[in-house]
Order: sequence, then C-alpha cells, then structure tokens
Amino acid sequence: MTVPLDSWLALMLATDAPALPSPSVMQLWLRLGWSAVLAWVGVVAMGRFAPVRARGGAWPITVAGLLAMSAWLPGPYSPAYWLGLAFQAPSVVTALLCAGMLAERLVPSAGAQWSAPAPNRLKTAFAYTGLVLGWALLLDTFALLPLQLYAWGNSAAAVGLVVLVAAVLWVVLGSAPHPVRAHLWVVPIALMVFAAWRLPTGNVWDAILDPWLWVALHVYLVRRIWVRNRSRGFPLIT
Amino acid sequence: MVLMLPSPVPSAVRRLFFALVAGCAILGLDIWQRPQLPAQASAVWPADTAVPDLGKLQVQAGGKIPMPAGMAAAHASSLLPMPSGDAASLSVFWFSGDRESGPNVQIAASQYDRSTQQWSPARFVVNRFVMAEQLGYGLRRLGNPVAWLDGGGRVNLFVVATGWGGWAASRVLHLRQSSPGRGLAELAFEPVRVLPLSWLWNTSFLVRNAPLPLVDGGMVLPVHFELGIKYPTALRFDKAGEFRGMVRLSQRLHLLQPSLVMESPHTWLAFMRDERPQGKVSVARTTDAGVHWTDLPDLTLDNPDAAVAGLGMAAGQMLLAHNSSIASRGTLDLSRSANGRDWTLAHTLEHGGHDDEYSYPAMAWVDGALWVTYTVDRHRIAWQRLAAAPLAGPKP
Repeated sequence: MTVPLDSWLALMLATDAPALPSPSVMQLWLRLGWSAVLAWVGVVAMGRFAPVRARGGAWPITVAGLLAMSAWLPGPYSPAYWLGLAFQAPSVVTALLCAGMLAERLVPSAGAQWSAPAPNRLKTAFAYTGLVLGWALLLDTFALLPLQLYAWGNSAAAVGLVVLVAAVLWVVLGSAPHPVRAHLWVVPIALMVFAAWRLPTGNVWDAILDPWLWVALHVYLVRRIWVRNRSRGFPLIT
Repeated sequence: MVLMLPSPVPSAVRRLFFALVAGCAILGLDIWQRPQLPAQASAVWPADTAVPDLGKLQVQAGGKIPMPAGMAAAHASSLLPMPSGDAASLSVFWFSGDRESGPNVQIAASQYDRSTQQWSPARFVVNRFVMAEQLGYGLRRLGNPVAWLDGGGRVNLFVVATGWGGWAASRVLHLRQSSPGRGLAELAFEPVRVLPLSWLWNTSFLVRNAPLPLVDGGMVLPVHFELGIKYPTALRFDKAGEFRGMVRLSQRLHLLQPSLVMESPHTWLAFMRDERPQGKVSVARTTDAGVHWTDLPDLTLDNPDAAVAGLGMAAGQMLLAHNSSIASRGTLDLSRSANGRDWTLAHTLEHGGHDDEYSYPAMAWVDGALWVTYTVDRHRIAWQRLAAAPLAGPKP
C-alpha cells in the first residue's frame, strides 16, 4: 500500500495524533528514572559530604544500590512516590545522564571512557540548545509565546526537529576521538527510547528536557563560563 | 558505556551517514507508533428530539442530592446523561469531604433512577490513596470531577488532582470505568494517566466543565491553566478515550473554566469565567471545529469571578447558567440566546442574599428535560429539572 506524500506530511505536522505510553510502562519508568537519579545524587552527595574513609571501597556502590532499590519500594515508602507527586517522572535524557555519570564514578573502566572529555564545543552546544529550549517551554507554559510549543511536542515534526538538531550538532561539532564517547549518544538513545516506548509522557520535549535538567544546564554553563574566565585571568566581576 | 564504531575514526561523512540512518530509524519508529489522523471534529447536539421553546422552561422538580454520610463539604458537580437502557437516567459526580481541599476529599456520585424518580444514596467512587497506589505516585488533593461516556459506553472521569502545592499545582487525572457495569453500586474506576499538558512538572491545569461530544464518539474537553495567570485550553479525545492533542482557546490571560457550546457542528463558542473584578462573561469562537479560536468581545453579562455552564440545544438555541451579579454568587440565573451575544433571562434558578452561594452550575439535556445541578454554600449539591410541559415526578 502506498501512502501519499501529503498524508505523510500531514501526519508529520499533526499535533492531534500523539502516541502516549501505556500506564504500566509509565509506572516502570517512574521508578527506573528516579532510581538512576537517586543513585547518582546519593553518590555525588557522598563524595562531597561523607567522611573521607567512606568515600572509597564498597561504600559508594552500596549507597547507590540502596538508593536505586528504594525507588522500587511499595507506595509511600518509595521516594519515587513523593518525587512523582511533586515532579512526575524525569526525562529520559536526565535518567541516562545520571546513569552514565554514576557509571563513571562506580566503574573505573567505564569511567575512564566516560570521563574522557567529549568535545567541549559539542557539550556546550547541547547545553545551550537545552537552555534555550527550556526558556521557550517555560514561556510557552505561561502562554507568552505566539505558538503553542508544548502542544507541538506531540507531533512527529517536533521529533524530526530534535533529531535534526542533534544530528547537525553531532556531525558538525562532534569530531570525537576514537572511541566515540558515550556522552554523545545520550540524546540519540533518549530519542530512540521515546520513539519506542513514548516515555515519559508521549511529548518529545518531556523526553529530552525536564525542569531539573534545565536548572542543571544553567549551573553547568555558569560554571563553565566562570572557569574559562578564571583560566584566562579575567576578573570574576567586571 | 562506550560504543565502538569501526575503524578508522569516523569522518564527517561517516557521521553524516550514521546520523541519517539513526534519524530515519527514530522518525520511522515514531510515526509507526502513532494513531491515524483524526477526521475533522464535528459536534453533536445533546437532544435527539425537537427542542421546546427555551423561553417556556419551567421547573418541574428539584431538591438536594443525598450526601455521603458524615461529609460536610460538597462542590463542583458534573452531570452525565446515561444511555436509555440504563436503570438510571443521569449520574452526578462531585467532590466531598470534611472541607474543600481537605485530605479526606473523595469523588462522590449519585444516580437518578428512572423507575423511582429518586436520587440514589451517594457513595464515593474515587479515593486518592487508591488511585495513587495504582499510579505509583501520590496525589495530594482531589478536586473538580468531569464525567464523560466514551464510544465504548465506559464512564470516564477527569479529576483535578494536586501535586505539592494548592490548586495551582493541579493536574488532570484521567480515570476510566473498571467495573463491568455503570450502576452506582458497582461503579469503579482505574487511572489511565495524568494528562500531559504542561512542561513545568505537568502543572497547573484544571478541569471543570462538561466536554463537547463529537459525532465520531470522541469529545473536546475544556480545561484551564491557573499558575499566576489563567488561560483556557481545549483537549481532544477519540472515541476510545485516548488523548489526541490540545489547543489554546484564548490569548487573554485572565480567563478560566471554559464551557463549550455548539452553534453548529463546526462552529463553537467557549464561555469563560473572568477572574478580574467587575468582570463580564468572556467568550471565544471557533469556526473550524476547534483548530483555531478567536477572542470575541465580552458579553454584557456580569461575572463575579464565578463558573458558568453553557449548552447548545439546537441551531439558534443556547442556554447559559451563570451568577449574574457583581461580587456575589447569591443569584444563579439561566439565560437563553439565539446568537451567543445577546442574552435574555429565561429563569432565575436561585436568588439568595449577598453572602449566599449558588455556584458552579452544570447542565445536561436528558429525556426531554433540562437538568441543572449546582453547589449550595459549598455544603450541598442542589438539582432542578426544567421542561416546557409538566412531567411526572416529585414537586420541588
């Protein structure tokens, strides 16, 4: 059966043909996503605040494992129950980043590859893109944009746009040394997860960026600018 | 966490090729998952028989709907006409508890029995702890319910459920009938999902008014955003009760609780509550079945920051239940219009003092009569049945 080109175009642009995740997949993701986030946050907090002797050995992996498992406790005993109440589920990108950074800290061999710097300009480009997208989505939430950006995230065209932007950034800026760093694969894998399971909501913006990740991008970019200025000897306050 | 590519080091061309293949795979998978495009929406009139002269509507019966035992607060009723084969002609849902926004608020329901012409004793049909357990995450408070019968004859409920915060932290929880039957004794629900309506942790959308039914068995559900500002939005659902998208109804940022009224199958009006002091009933209009909406000038009807409920009965015959005085919900009127702009008082449903409250009206057309329910002082839900000719049943 041949589908006419204009039908494909209409399907691409339509915002009224979203595919939403099934309730069971959403529940699974709620726990899986917060597992990754909790484990990473726990290990980072431990690295910063725990006594020095507790930062090595089996402690980090134990803490990460316990925190990850806590998300699977039933009902109100699970932190995911309360995090979901407040923030719903994390984006796929957030969960993948947390899982990746967790692996960096817990598995030295994986960490060696993960921590090897991906091209800075590529990370920065992704960060700025996320920053701008987040601001646009926030303005749209308060109906301050002339278009309905969040609703447009229900369309295949929005998925196409995200694929295009990620691909262009990767092709143009991603001259990664061999082997290709896992950092570079976070957005494509997130898009693949979204396309397959529609996580977390069926809207592509929720898959690639959540408000906490957007806040973290601000912190990342401010730190980056601060470090760069300091390394160049620029005064911090001008 | 390392993904190896074949040596030698990928060139820009190799990366381009890989990006194209991956991009096409993602897009292909995405499109393959999506449902077919819906046909253009077409609204359906609520009455399948001739509509009487709306100017001759008289109250035939009325009273208070039974409350769940021991509950002091009641608010935000929603009416659901039942299919003709059901024992009940009408179901009503509202939220009830010790107090509004209290932790023990649940969704209550009652049904109007065709044979006894009485409301059944109320019972709770939605509990936030049960729903939270099934969703996997907590619901802090329950609020307005809105009921709808999908193409499969299942009762769907859309319920305001808050996260951390007050009503501004609300989300819209979609529930679907899980019991085999629709009778009140067995009526039970299970969550479908919290509707994905906002990027900001999915806050702050609320539902209040009845959906506009469509010919294809689907419907358009009016909702509104209310974190700081307020704006109305319409959601489309297919006959299976699946979410099919959202469209903003107005560019104005002080309007909430839209009520959708059909002028014709593709021309609809949205009457809205105005949160400003000295507000008027506001209105927006679509002529392409909800794809695009245009703000119209406010009506001359006063609106004391109170919910309105509209119903399009037939071409040129519209009804609007509304509080008609400034700064008080003490008077609840039923007005009629031929064009949606010029309104005439058809009937005063309630006329109390300045501090009385007769608010949050809901309307439905069932078996040749207009049914209206509304909140009385946030303690009870009252009902009235209006018809052009006397009907059998208890007198008010």
